[in-house]
Amino acid sequence: MSTITRTWKVNGKPIKVRAPAGRRLLDYLRDDLGLIGAKEGCGEGECGACTVLIDNEPMVSCIVPVGQLADGTEILTIEGVEKKRAGRLLQQAYLECGAVQCGFCIPGMIISSYALLPKNPKPPTQAIRPPLSGNLCRCTG
Amino acid sequence: MKTTEKINIRFPQTLAEALRLQARKNTRGTLLAGGTDLMVQWASGTPPPARATSLWNLPELCEIEVRDDDILIGAGVTHAFLGEAKPIHRHLPALIAAAATVGAIQIQARGTLGGNAANASPAGDTAPALLITGGDVLLASLDGTREVPLDEFWTGYRQIAARPDEIILAFRLPKKGSAKERFRKIGARKAQAISKIMAASRIRVRSGRILSAAIALGSVAPTPIRLTQVEALLTGQALTPSLVAQAEKLAQTSVKPIADIRSSAEYRRWVAGRLVRDALENL
Ligand SMILES: Cc1cc2nc3c(=O)[nH]c(=O)nc-3n(C[C@H](O)[C@H](O)[C@H](O)COP(=O)(O)OP(=O)(O)OC[C@H]3O[C@@H](n4cnc5c(N)ncnc54)[C@H](O)[C@@H]3O)c2cc1C
Ligand code: FES
Ligand code: FES
Repeated sequence: MSTITRTWKVNGKPIKVRAPAGRRLLDYLRDDLGLIGAKEGCGEGECGACTVLIDNEPMVSCIVPVGQLADGTEILTIEGVEKKRAGRLLQQAYLECGAVQCGFCIPGMIISSYALLPKNPKPPTQAIRPPLSGNLCRCTG
Repeated sequence: MKTTEKINIRFPQTLAEALRLQARKNTRGTLLAGGTDLMVQWASGTPPPARATSLWNLPELCEIEVRDDDILIGAGVTHAFLGEAKPIHRHLPALIAAAATVGAIQIQARGTLGGNAANASPAGDTAPALLITGGDVLLASLDGTREVPLDEFWTGYRQIAARPDEIILAFRLPKKGSAKERFRKIGARKAQAISKIMAASRIRVRSGRILSAAIALGSVAPTPIRLTQVEALLTGQALTPSLVAQAEKLAQTSVKPIADIRSSAEYRRWVAGRLVRDALENL
């Protein structure tokens, strides 16, 4: 085991990280920081329920070892996204469209949607599919 | 405690430092790039190693250099970065298309070209697209850098020509020039699906005659392969419907795929031929 110390920004707040280098980011967020919005569906990178933004890019936190995230890394989880205007609008839109059933996949879905908007502010349906294709919903199939 | 927490991971800041770690048996670690293969293997039962050497974001591995006839792509370049590297797209369109089919965006943001090649899965999507360029792999060690032709890089099922003290530095890939490239992946769905079979081709035609042909398939053999017999059949010939039919047949009889959870041998053999036809009909 090797222990790392790092300084990151998580949801805008500076955080001092001390953890085993191989700890999964998902575990660090949920168990050490209490940010339980990111969910563990598969633990193997397939389902997208654990998606968070790392330096603005969506990544699956269940297969990222914390040691690989350098000082200064910015992480945004659903708890941070829901405080942003675009995040709130997305949550509302998901509700109004009846997109939510059990809700387990939704934090990941919203993060991937949120990441798409700066690149493509008014995406047509066809442009939404590829960036959301790494998020699986068990309820809708 | 999750199994990966037990690993002693080193984070060299330079390639030289990484090479020094890998040179000695008692400091050498499993090379860990984006971890999209390794972290999954360790989560699903493969015992993790005692030591790992992280290559993630190592500057020397993340460069792309466009030269007159070829392009050097660092082993640490991610699939997402290839997608954004617009100036190289017209020179290596099959590779760019292949990288865009790896997993989904979350995986492309972490998965690297070097990791895809070194993982050496017969279903690795970028491998056929690398093979058709006729380029080389640059392997670095404390002894220096050597070039291995991509044709000789995959030596057996999940085996590569790199020594334990070597790190893949980059890929040297000749530009396609006037040739036409194509990449087709056949999977269960468009995203997040491991290939049943895939094909890449680089074919140069002038005045209806095939000047050169490079065709590679994945998931039909223990390693990604070039269809050398089909290439020999095509080279120098006029591109006619009967030649296309012959090439399709030869592809079907020359591959020896296996059946596994993703597909049957018959399906793969059949589709191998159809993919060759598809390449020739879209020139
Ligand atoms: C959900 C999911 C979907 C996927 N879908 C696809 C897909 O559609 N197509 C596909 O081809 N793959 C797919 N993969 C596999 C994986 O994403 C790719 O193979 C990726 O390119 C691996 O790169 P990496 O940097 O993450 O490798 P790592 O996991 O870090 O390493 C993989 C192997 O390469 C070695 N290695 C890494 N870098 C070097 C180097 N510079 N020199 C020498 N050895 C090195 C490692 O030691 C290890 O053996 C998928 C994975 C997941 C989790
Ligand atoms: S829990 Fe991370 S992708 Fe499924
Ligand atoms: S709403 Fe249940 S998994 Fe998507």
